[in-house]
Amino acid sequence: MPRASSCRSGICATPRAPSLSGVATSVSQAERMINLLALLVERSRPLTLKQIRRELGNQYSEQDEAARAAFERDKSELRKMGIPIEMVTLGGDQAGEGGYTVDRRSFLLADLKLTDAERSALELAIATVRMGALVGEGALWKLGGERVAKTPSTSVNIQMTDDVLVALASGVVERKTLTFTYKGEARKVDPYGLLARGGFWYLVGHDHLRAAQRVFRVDRIASSIGVGAKGSFDRPVGFDLARAVPTERDMLADGEAEATHAVVRVDVVLASRVREEFGEESVVATNADGSMDFSIPCANLAAFKSWLFAMVDRAEVLSPPFVRDHVIGALREIAELSS
Amino acid sequence: MRLRRQRRGPRSAGERVERLLVMLPWILERGQVRLADMAKQFRLSEKELMDDLMMVSMCGVPPYTPDALIDVRVDEEWVIAEVPNMFRRPLQLTSAEVFVLSAMRDAAMRIPGADRNGPLASALNKLKSLLPKDDVGVTVDLRAVRYLEELRDALDRGAEVKISYFTPSTASRSERNVVPRRILESFGNWYVQGDDSASGEMRTFRIDRIDALDFTGRTVPVIEMDDDDETWFADATEFVTLSVSPKARWIVEQYPYVSREESADGRIVVKMAVTSEHWLGRLLLRAGTEASVVEPAKWSGLGARAARSVLARYGS
Repeated sequence: MPRASSCRSGICATPRAPSLSGVATSVSQAERMINLLALLVERSRPLTLKQIRRELGNQYSEQDEAARAAFERDKSELRKMGIPIEMVTLGGDQAGEGGYTVDRRSFLLADLKLTDAERSALELAIATVRMGALVGEGALWKLGGERVAKTPSTSVNIQMTDDVLVALASGVVERKTLTFTYKGEARKVDPYGLLARGGFWYLVGHDHLRAAQRVFRVDRIASSIGVGAKGSFDRPVGFDLARAVPTERDMLADGEAEATHAVVRVDVVLASRVREEFGEESVVATNADGSMDFSIPCANLAAFKSWLFAMVDRAEVLSPPFVRDHVIGALREIAELSS
Repeated sequence: MRLRRQRRGPRSAGERVERLLVMLPWILERGQVRLADMAKQFRLSEKELMDDLMMVSMCGVPPYTPDALIDVRVDEEWVIAEVPNMFRRPLQLTSAEVFVLSAMRDAAMRIPGADRNGPLASALNKLKSLLPKDDVGVTVDLRAVRYLEELRDALDRGAEVKISYFTPSTASRSERNVVPRRILESFGNWYVQGDDSASGEMRTFRIDRIDALDFTGRTVPVIEMDDDDETWFADATEFVTLSVSPKARWIVEQYPYVSREESADGRIVVKMAVTSEHWLGRLLLRAGTEASVVEPAKWSGLGARAARSVLARYGS
């Protein structure tokens, strides 16, 4: 199919409607943005808005105010894409006027010279680790790769909605302070990192409200995310993301119950799995029927019960009496529920 | 496992421009690509892609004579771009893209059997120049699980394995012969899907419930699996509707659900697939007094029944 337009002069800037014999109509914003960017990229010297309007023909309104508003809108959209349109104050016979320019090196990707094998490996890796799909694809296309339509035989799903990801990721990568609502409170957080574990994302950072390092479950962030200025904090030296987020074992131990450990008897069908989870050192006794007794942290009784009840009647707290009674009390309460 | 649909509304001017700035260098590098393939690649309809390409082919620099316009054309079913233009290099990666690549790098290298000296490692090495100098701040903590490497090996070769599998709903073990077809990490657990000789069907197994594994020596042709997330719900034939207090929110967060609704008092009414009655009983026991069954009625006393069965063990 050949190009569908014949109107190609700077005066006749109505390429969208060539059949209208040169009558000026509004050029679509997308088209105008591309022409604006092309112009700024091609001209090495800064251009004033007046010059830009002249160069682009009547793609901007003839009215000054409307043209300025549309230009600002285009500029801000392009900046959002990471294209920094700079304004400089001109000298000479244009002294004092603002000129716009863009340095192509500042927004174009360097050529990594990936080999075909490397590119294929990246394509496969991006298909293997699935996060906000479109974001990963965008990176792949920029690297010259292609989205693989087939699911690789092994894949990892890390779910996260794109808009949350974009805000949090930019905060972490560019060291921007974030604001959001968490557990009903307005938080201001310097994000140190994001950890995916056990099917959840955790944000670790300095919480200004608590004046301490805190962990936030990302899916419990109850508001949109406000993003502050670039480089607004430094991450502490030696910060260890994986250690900053407590594991299930840590959580069972993180509480104020009178007892720190409980002895739990686990039936043979589940015993090996508990041993794997809590380690050989947690085994207190192995019984004749194959069941095993474990010493399990229980300082956080709510977390402990949740762990224990997942085994239903295949596990029993033996001691201390305080924990055993607490568990029995909780079970009685559930047993008496009338639905 | 929760199904997420891609949002598809009208595209804004900004979205169209950003995508075009990605597409231009991509097509230029290839010279020509079939329109249908390119539309599929960029998740656009052929009409959307055609409109975008038509538009950009009319863009350029003054005086907008043919030689000053971006050279992209559609000829029959081919998209052709041969002459370099002002957009021959892609835009730099956004911070979100940097983050995704870093997370992908972290996860890909943690998958057992990852080749630390292969092409992926060297590609990631080249990517380093695009990433911030110090560590980006993302970790993907994949749970280590026994037999993952053996299963990946079996999958690659079409080899059958004999597994001893623990089924929590009956708290029993069974021996099964399985040809692994797909391995997936989802919501913090590793799963293997494969041809199960006992049932003659494709079944899903949680890898951490495999207690023993041996190769049988039998191999079958390797087949490619289609991308089909729905498979994960395929086994569920029954559904339950629960009313959950804010304290037991984890129920909604940890398991895939069909629908959910939040009421004014903060309670959540959630409908979810039930894989077995035992599973639901266990869930209700863990939720304690914070969750109740709305329907079906046959399960309304299930949590209490589960609690009584445990109490029996305590002799009370």
